Amino acid sequence: MPQFRWVDRLHIKFSLPLLILLPLLSSCTRERRLEYGLSLADTLRINIITEPPTLDWNRSTDTTSSLIQDNIMEGLIQYDLQDPDFKLLPALATEWSSNSDFTKWTFTLREGVKWNDGVEFKAQQVVDGWERLLNPKTASEYAYFLYSIKNARAYNEGSIKDFSEVGVRVDAEGRLVVELDQPKSYFPMLLTHSSTFPIRKDVIEKHGDRWTDPENIVTLGAYDLKIWDHDRAIVLERNENYYGDKAKIKNILAYMVNETSTALNLFDSGRLDSLHQLPSRELGHLKRRKEYRETGIMATYYFGFNTERPPMDDVRVRRAIVHGVDRKQVTDMLQGGQIPISNWIPPGMLGYEADVGLNFDVAEANRLLDEAGFKDRSTFPTLTLSFNTMEDHRRVAENIQAQLRRNLGISVELLNEEWKVYLRSLSTNPSHIYRLGWLADYPDPDNFMGIMTSFSDQNYTRWKNSRFDELIQQAVAEGDPAKRRVLYREAQRILTEEGAAVLPLYAQVNHLLVADRVQNYPVNRLARFIFRDVELK
Amino acid sequence: MKLVSRLKENWKFLMGWGLLLGSLSLVVMSFFALPIPRALWWLTGSLAAVGFAHYTFSQNLVVYVIKRILEAVFVIFVIASMTFLLLRVIPGGPFDTEKALPPEVIANIAAKYNLDAPLHRQYSDYMLGLLRGDLGESYKFLGRNVAQIVGEALPVSLQLGVYSLILAFMIGIPAGLFAASRHNSFADNATMILAISGVALPSFLIAPILIIVFAFWLNWFEVALWLGPEYYILPVVVLGTSPAAIIARLTRSSVLEVIRSDYIRTAKAKGLSHQVVLYKHVLKNSLIPVLTFSGPLVAGVLSGSFVVEQIFAIPGLGRHMVQSVTNRDYPLILGTTLVFSVMLVLANLVVDILYAYFDPRIKLS
Repeated sequence: MPQFRWVDRLHIKFSLPLLILLPLLSSCTRERRLEYGLSLADTLRINIITEPPTLDWNRSTDTTSSLIQDNIMEGLIQYDLQDPDFKLLPALATEWSSNSDFTKWTFTLREGVKWNDGVEFKAQQVVDGWERLLNPKTASEYAYFLYSIKNARAYNEGSIKDFSEVGVRVDAEGRLVVELDQPKSYFPMLLTHSSTFPIRKDVIEKHGDRWTDPENIVTLGAYDLKIWDHDRAIVLERNENYYGDKAKIKNILAYMVNETSTALNLFDSGRLDSLHQLPSRELGHLKRRKEYRETGIMATYYFGFNTERPPMDDVRVRRAIVHGVDRKQVTDMLQGGQIPISNWIPPGMLGYEADVGLNFDVAEANRLLDEAGFKDRSTFPTLTLSFNTMEDHRRVAENIQAQLRRNLGISVELLNEEWKVYLRSLSTNPSHIYRLGWLADYPDPDNFMGIMTSFSDQNYTRWKNSRFDELIQQAVAEGDPAKRRVLYREAQRILTEEGAAVLPLYAQVNHLLVADRVQNYPVNRLARFIFRDVELK
Repeated sequence: MKLVSRLKENWKFLMGWGLLLGSLSLVVMSFFALPIPRALWWLTGSLAAVGFAHYTFSQNLVVYVIKRILEAVFVIFVIASMTFLLLRVIPGGPFDTEKALPPEVIANIAAKYNLDAPLHRQYSDYMLGLLRGDLGESYKFLGRNVAQIVGEALPVSLQLGVYSLILAFMIGIPAGLFAASRHNSFADNATMILAISGVALPSFLIAPILIIVFAFWLNWFEVALWLGPEYYILPVVVLGTSPAAIIARLTRSSVLEVIRSDYIRTAKAKGLSHQVVLYKHVLKNSLIPVLTFSGPLVAGVLSGSFVVEQIFAIPGLGRHMVQSVTNRDYPLILGTTLVFSVMLVLANLVVDILYAYFDPRIKLS
């Protein structure tokens, strides 16, 4: 129909110039300046992945919130992140000591420290923070962090109303005195955690839930919270009145990009200075880049057995399954540098014992299964292995499934559930084999060992061993590292060999990219990102 | 006097153009991230409202519109109730965490968020809150109102959606006309193959290709984020591709149908120029199927925006929609669901009314 030809002409007349104009238009607005009026030369641009659920350090529980809190606030004590054993260093407390059985601790606090509104830091503000953490009205998830303090649990439960009955007070010399219910040799470590930081009660009372807004919040760390543009970015600015060495970089611009491949694109186009999470499928080639860094972290990946569900109630079956898995095959497949472990405590922490735990041994595995009465493998029931829906968990589960079929001739069916559904199933009726991981809250072995005791809320195996419980309690009360190590060694032997309640798989690794212009980037096994000492070239 | 009478005669015409110009400048100004004066919002908004009111009254649609609005309120009430109940049925609650909590802590949290009250109580509290316009406070983002979260994310999603729709119509309708005008030629086939690919290719495939070509190789646009025009173009193109393709196919088939109809032959026989035939008769009538499709299209663009928002790190509502479910953040799930429902119901209402405007054969009552 030739009469419609004009359409073509019209089309070309308008669309061609438009096509040329658009990029031109956009390129003239494209100057390399940063948002929020920041300049590139003194701004570190990081990705914190998500919007922090809250910056209220009494109420937050996640790593994104604590990353920001660690930079704007400080606790009584801090880790030496350069030290492989994470020696404790003074922060707001200058000295601390305990009685011989670790039930009474005294902290001397630093003088002359000022909050960024000019008010002086006082011991009472620490007590206020702990009161608020434990107050039932705050409904803090991390209230249990301080449960070892005398009467703290009862106060949190509401059975004690008067906080003065809780074992924390300020003495006549202005020192903080803490009394514990039970001995805890690592108590000072808890004070490095943001949930125990001091608070400004007056500020919180004045502004209510909005006290963490940039215009209201009062802090005393190396950085101040300058801008919080929800779901987009957070800007921190150097605190010029910080009591210690001032931060080297003036600003931190933290974006919230939750897709790892998008963040990688931003890094590649020069919009980000670092990445704390990389797309796992691309690790193979990312590892060859010069910006690549990796560090083992204090986190493990394991499978637990529901020891009450037959045939997993037979310890021989559990041991056979542990013997039947070659962990190295799993870590080789993942290509992420994960470290296979057979014991419970990850490398880099007191109590890591490479030789504890059951090794890959197909002959022994088959012998154990025969002995358990499954000489004819067809009589062995199909096991269910469950995991929460995620690509990497599926890859691991499929690998284990294949190994068990090949090495033991048993069939395993996979069950994946959405995260919250999965958590519910774990606490009500776990599968024969379930996947979980554990990340240390603080670098003490008790944090790992405690979760497998019979009284732990985290122990979904339903495995109970009174000797194990006893060893754990002894170890917490023991101050001598060498003696603690012996206790933990024995406890781990019971857990991973004798009881075989779990199949520890590997210790996890953090993969990072750090741009060339950044120096002293905090890459540590605690995965704590404190930017005070970072420099830009 | 003369001017006044002329204004009186042409006020509809003037209003129409005013509305068009107003909306256009709003879109352009927001695209280039220019500060938009409040007055412009008010002007455009009131023009739209007056136009809509005039149209409703002159066409005797008042009863119809009121009926539809009441229906919409009922639909939204049902959606809110269903969502509320479904949330309590699905396993896993907002405070189930990897590190299991001691019972004391769980009890404190339940008390704080009123989760220990009987279900009917929680339901009536929520509904009463809704009546007051209170969407509640997020469980995940402490101290932030759902209304506040939605208020910050919705404009971004709307921007993305509106640009994509405009792009889709701008490309789809001319492309459809173009293909129809060269029916069965090579150009027609090529356009339609392109259109089919546009429908078939998922956005998570188109996006990386466009990013590699236009952001990394040509360095024209940014790879992600939502900070200005150079950031908007790629996501808008990605989100607009499939609607553009669908519109092109629809326009083409409907133009072909209209061209063959008797009244077009009559119009031509009257000796009208091609342009008049095309604009006044073919195009207007061809657009009816496209318009019908626009209601669902708005739904598609809004709900499809999640993937695009994810790929380009756009702080829109799609992200909250999905993540709130993962977090079991009940108030935020309800809030986002309600906002989407309201938009869909509204879009459909507007389309239905416009439908009668474009096609006088249709009587709404």
